[in-house]
Amino acid sequence: MFLNVQLPWNVIIPAENLDAKGLMLQRSIIIRLLDEFASKKATKELGYYFALTTLDSIGEGKVRQHTGDILFPVVFHGITFNLFRGEIIEGVVHKVLKHGVFLRCGPMEHIYLSSTKMPDYRYVPGENPVFLNEKLSKIGKDVVVRVIVLATMWLEVEREFRALVSLEGDFLGPVSSF
Amino acid sequence: MSDKGGKGSSLPPKGIKSSLKSTTSNGGSFKGKEDGSTKSKKGRKVQFDSDKVSPKSSGKTESLFSKGNTGKGGKGDNTASTVKKSPSKPPPPLELKVEQELPKNAKCIMDAEALQILQGIQDQMVILSEDPSIKIPASFDRGLQYAKTTGNRYTDYQSICVIANVGPETADEVFALVPSLKGKKEKLMEPLKGVLDELAKLKQLA
Repeated sequence: MFLNVQLPWNVIIPAENLDAKGLMLQRSIIIRLLDEFASKKATKELGYYFALTTLDSIGEGKVRQHTGDILFPVVFHGITFNLFRGEIIEGVVHKVLKHGVFLRCGPMEHIYLSSTKMPDYRYVPGENPVFLNEKLSKIGKDVVVRVIVLATMWLEVEREFRALVSLEGDFLGPVSSF
Repeated sequence: MSDKGGKGSSLPPKGIKSSLKSTTSNGGSFKGKEDGSTKSKKGRKVQFDSDKVSPKSSGKTESLFSKGNTGKGGKGDNTASTVKKSPSKPPPPLELKVEQELPKNAKCIMDAEALQILQGIQDQMVILSEDPSIKIPASFDRGLQYAKTTGNRYTDYQSICVIANVGPETADEVFALVPSLKGKKEKLMEPLKGVLDELAKLKQLA
């Protein structure tokens, strides 16, 4: 789900960017903050970083001893996206394999729904493989499926999340968009 | 699959370290580095001696599949890297316990809220992109797309906010406070009562 987070960060302005015109200072702080925010992409606790909403405060700058940079403590609000265990989400199927399907939900590409967690659905191979159940409801490519999150995994190296989901529960399964 | 004891890694084939977020409170039924704490934020290696395994979990551990290995369904399976459900009892239904896991400075927001915010930013995108030094996170587009599909459900978002904020006790209160709903009064009466009951329950728990 989406989160509105408040974060204190330290923004470092290198000495070259410090201008005689004091007004540019705030702009360069904002730009540096956006830059760092964008490059961070995601963290384990807060999920994927989407957007910075408000800059609450910029503290007093401290000059760093050896490099001449200035460190500004800033506090800001931002929107992030994270999946939690037990959460109900709707993902779009983008890959169908024999033992399960991969869903995409927001920025997360690697959400796996195993065939063992799809009760009553069986695999139908073919050019466009799908999973079918007795009531002929289909889970195939580009189908929106409502699932519950069983577990999530944070990969430090790629800085991204993987998730494992299931259909075991009431009112879960493919949904018709309306 | 190899079984391990001691400090060897028991990584699944793709070399993924599992940092399983689980709400078990087993107190020591796992071996190796696992200390049974429910919320350790570092990645944990879950290790078992596969002959001696019988986790006395309270039923909330789930099996985390390595992606290529789904043949056996994970119950009583012999791969060292999976966490096993205790086969004797059916696991209790999975509940959302976000409050435990949410960091202190974060608040949940509705998809519709997020949509409004992200759309506001997108509207300013044209101006922002003219400045080459301003960067937007890569996942922004995806997030906006997702918010659009889910957030668009509630077009009458402000009424929802009003109802949630005020915390009315009866359906009549709702109609008095949100006159725009009066048109659908008959249809809404019953579901509104149900919804208000649920909200009242949540109010008490808070």
